[in-house]
Amino acid sequence: MQNSRWRAAAPAAVVLASALALSSCSGGTTDTVPEEPVSGGTLVYASGDAEPTCLDPHVGGNYPQALVASQFLETLYTKDQDGQIVPWLASGADVSDDGTTVTLHLREGISFSDGTAFDAAAVKANIEHVLDPETGSSTGYLAMQKVESMEVIDPATLELGLSAPDAALFESFTQTWNAMMSPAGLERSQEENCAAPIGTGPFVVEDWARQESVSLTRNDDYTVPNPEATADPSHTGPAYLEGIEWRFIPESATRYSALQSGTVDMIDNAQPDSIASAEQSDAIEHLDAPRPGASNRIELNSSKAPFDDARVREAFVRSVDVDAAVDSLFFGTAERSYSPLSSVEPMGYSDESLFGYDPDEAARLLDEAGWTERDAAGYRVKDGERLSVHLPISTNQSVPAEQSLFEQLQATAKESGIEVTTELLDLGSWYGALGEHEYDLVSAPYTKVGPDVLRILFHSDSTEPAPSGYFANHAMVRDEGIDAALEDASSADDEAERASLYADVQAEVLEGYYLLPLYDQQNHFLHSTSLRGIGETTAVATPTFHNAWLAD
Amino acid sequence: MKILRWLLTRLAGGLFVLWAVATLVFIGIRLVPGDPVEAIVGGPGSQAGPEAFALARAEYGLDEPLIVQYGLMLANLVRGDLGTSYSLKVPVAEAVSEQLPGTLALALLAWGLAWLLALSVALFTALATGPRLSRVADAAGSGLEIFAAAVPHFWLGSVLVLVFATSLGWLPPVATDSPAGLVLPVATLALPLAGFLGQVMRESLATALASPFALAARARGESETGVVLRHGLRHAALPGISLSGWALGSLISGAVVVEALFARGGLGRTLLSAVTLRDIPLVTGVVLVSALTYVVVMAAADVVERLVDPRLGTTTATRAAQPDLAAGGGRP
Repeated sequence: MQNSRWRAAAPAAVVLASALALSSCSGGTTDTVPEEPVSGGTLVYASGDAEPTCLDPHVGGNYPQALVASQFLETLYTKDQDGQIVPWLASGADVSDDGTTVTLHLREGISFSDGTAFDAAAVKANIEHVLDPETGSSTGYLAMQKVESMEVIDPATLELGLSAPDAALFESFTQTWNAMMSPAGLERSQEENCAAPIGTGPFVVEDWARQESVSLTRNDDYTVPNPEATADPSHTGPAYLEGIEWRFIPESATRYSALQSGTVDMIDNAQPDSIASAEQSDAIEHLDAPRPGASNRIELNSSKAPFDDARVREAFVRSVDVDAAVDSLFFGTAERSYSPLSSVEPMGYSDESLFGYDPDEAARLLDEAGWTERDAAGYRVKDGERLSVHLPISTNQSVPAEQSLFEQLQATAKESGIEVTTELLDLGSWYGALGEHEYDLVSAPYTKVGPDVLRILFHSDSTEPAPSGYFANHAMVRDEGIDAALEDASSADDEAERASLYADVQAEVLEGYYLLPLYDQQNHFLHSTSLRGIGETTAVATPTFHNAWLAD
Repeated sequence: MKILRWLLTRLAGGLFVLWAVATLVFIGIRLVPGDPVEAIVGGPGSQAGPEAFALARAEYGLDEPLIVQYGLMLANLVRGDLGTSYSLKVPVAEAVSEQLPGTLALALLAWGLAWLLALSVALFTALATGPRLSRVADAAGSGLEIFAAAVPHFWLGSVLVLVFATSLGWLPPVATDSPAGLVLPVATLALPLAGFLGQVMRESLATALASPFALAARARGESETGVVLRHGLRHAALPGISLSGWALGSLISGAVVVEALFARGGLGRTLLSAVTLRDIPLVTGVVLVSALTYVVVMAAADVVERLVDPRLGTTTATRAAQPDLAAGGGRP
């Protein structure tokens, strides 16, 4: 997936900076002539995420799986350099007038690395695999739920019957959690397929030494399916790199130190302090690739007191000084958001005017809502009860800078008489607390390509728990108007109509103070300057290395 | 006969420990929030469908009543079957045996280094002569030991990385294939243990050197070095040996931190991930293997203790009559 969803100004500046750095570093050539990529060498990549328990991203389906699987699996669709959804392994599609029949056309002459042909039967086997309960798919399964039937018309044509029109289908096809694997590989046991999924990508899984690294080697038969969508359309053959050693270094200081010492060439999950320090270094470059889907935001549980009162929700939002906290804790690496959607989503809608820090307004709203008394500790009181809200924090989901941010918000809310109690929890306990409704505030990331994430986050259906107890609508928005707009948007066949419906929904939830947007889902990478040709990412913002090469 | 009885007691005790550990893990992991079945279908917060959940529950027997699950687990354990990991989808025995050598190597090296350091400091302070030098050496040794014993692995490891990897660039900050990659993890694990061992050793060495048998040896004209090496050391080593079980426990809990910090594969990291995901068979497997190692080390420490201190094998009457165990041990 040689594509990028870079459209924001900041990443563009990074591209420019890397281009400048690249040209100025080129020994022997003039400053204006770009260097000729060199083939060979093994890239050592260090991921800060937990090691996946299965390399097949259909199983479960989380971000660490997508990061590594993007190197050896490819998707039917992708995002091109302008952020447009374009065919990748597919060559196009026809959608029937009622929107329930989708005819997928597939590129011919593509093979999986085991020699199995990529054809309609293979796509069918993959969608079946995602939907099969035996697979235990979570993310991929959610995205393919509307697929009801599949018919192989000929090797290059597959007809999908949908239970309802799905405007998000092609966005779903760009996600690595719905990537294509060899049907022969899928027929193996889950244990075997998890250890080494077989794809069409530029690299192949060679070996997985658990708890240490995944070894990837170059796929020498690789051809870029859609060169026009990539940064270098002239490079259509195998990757420059001979292989990738994909390591897992969970501790962020160690990870950064490994990059500095040259033990690794690239790291992900770079923390604000490391990024700030790297800015001072000539040997390290920064790649900022915000994740698609939702922005990072604090959701306010509107289903119970005190946030069942919109005035109290607004009072909380007005009482916390987010900008000051973000500035001091993220060293300028995170830009403030005022939208439910990520800045990479073309249909994102922002309203900065709703989120200014305004303790006077907070005080007025709280008085109006009846929280007029104060207790000995200075907190507001109503009917003998303190204005206290609970914020469970996942240590897996919130990086240390974000945890500190919550502490600062806690401190500024206190000045307005709102007590915020926080609790640090491991992932299982955190999801447990959410499932039990033991929260008034929560920050839960959600990555998905396209604005359909709004349906997942704000449709009343999402207040009903899944079998695991999980529900995505943490703000507990239950609004018939919002539901109707989200459903219309899902079946809209016109992009402008879809955009306007989604804008309405976003305006509604922002004005209802169901959420406090913070910043994009942070996704920072640092790499050594000798690693060139970096910058392309998949639609889910995972970096790809087909055009990457190592300079001496 | 005596040996047989000793063996049987040890064996029974060991089995009891293993049973108790398996039971505690079984209960403990169900007391924390989170449904173990989620580990099978993508981890906490999974949004897999109801059929996927039902299927996973049935496949791993999680739809049975708890008491039946417990019984099945014990029956499987008795047959030596550790089950299949929920998250990794591979047999637990395979996952554990893959990670065990890495952790054992780390623990053994750290244990060896800790002994070496502890003995060196104890000997150095004991051999420092002259009233002033000995007082200074004693204070320095004791201060170092208390500091080393008190620092948390995480802090120590981070500081070592900062100094030796980031600033000086002498050693790789993460584990690598070369022996250099082992230095920082081993040192991080060894130093706190060395501090603790050093304290107990130095104290018993001092006690031994002040006892009548040491005086007698000196009176026989032995040099101070000879007294320390031939008579004192055995005394100094004894508490260290009997603390081996405890030391192993500290090494294993330290390995969880050190393996994560230095990105080394091993049981510690496996355990961390298994606990996060509520992967019951994998948690049980790792804890049982650690417990088994503990039982074996305790038994071995018992044997070694008897070799070093022959009094332990004989009656208490002769033990009291034989204060100089070095002499009793028969030196040439």
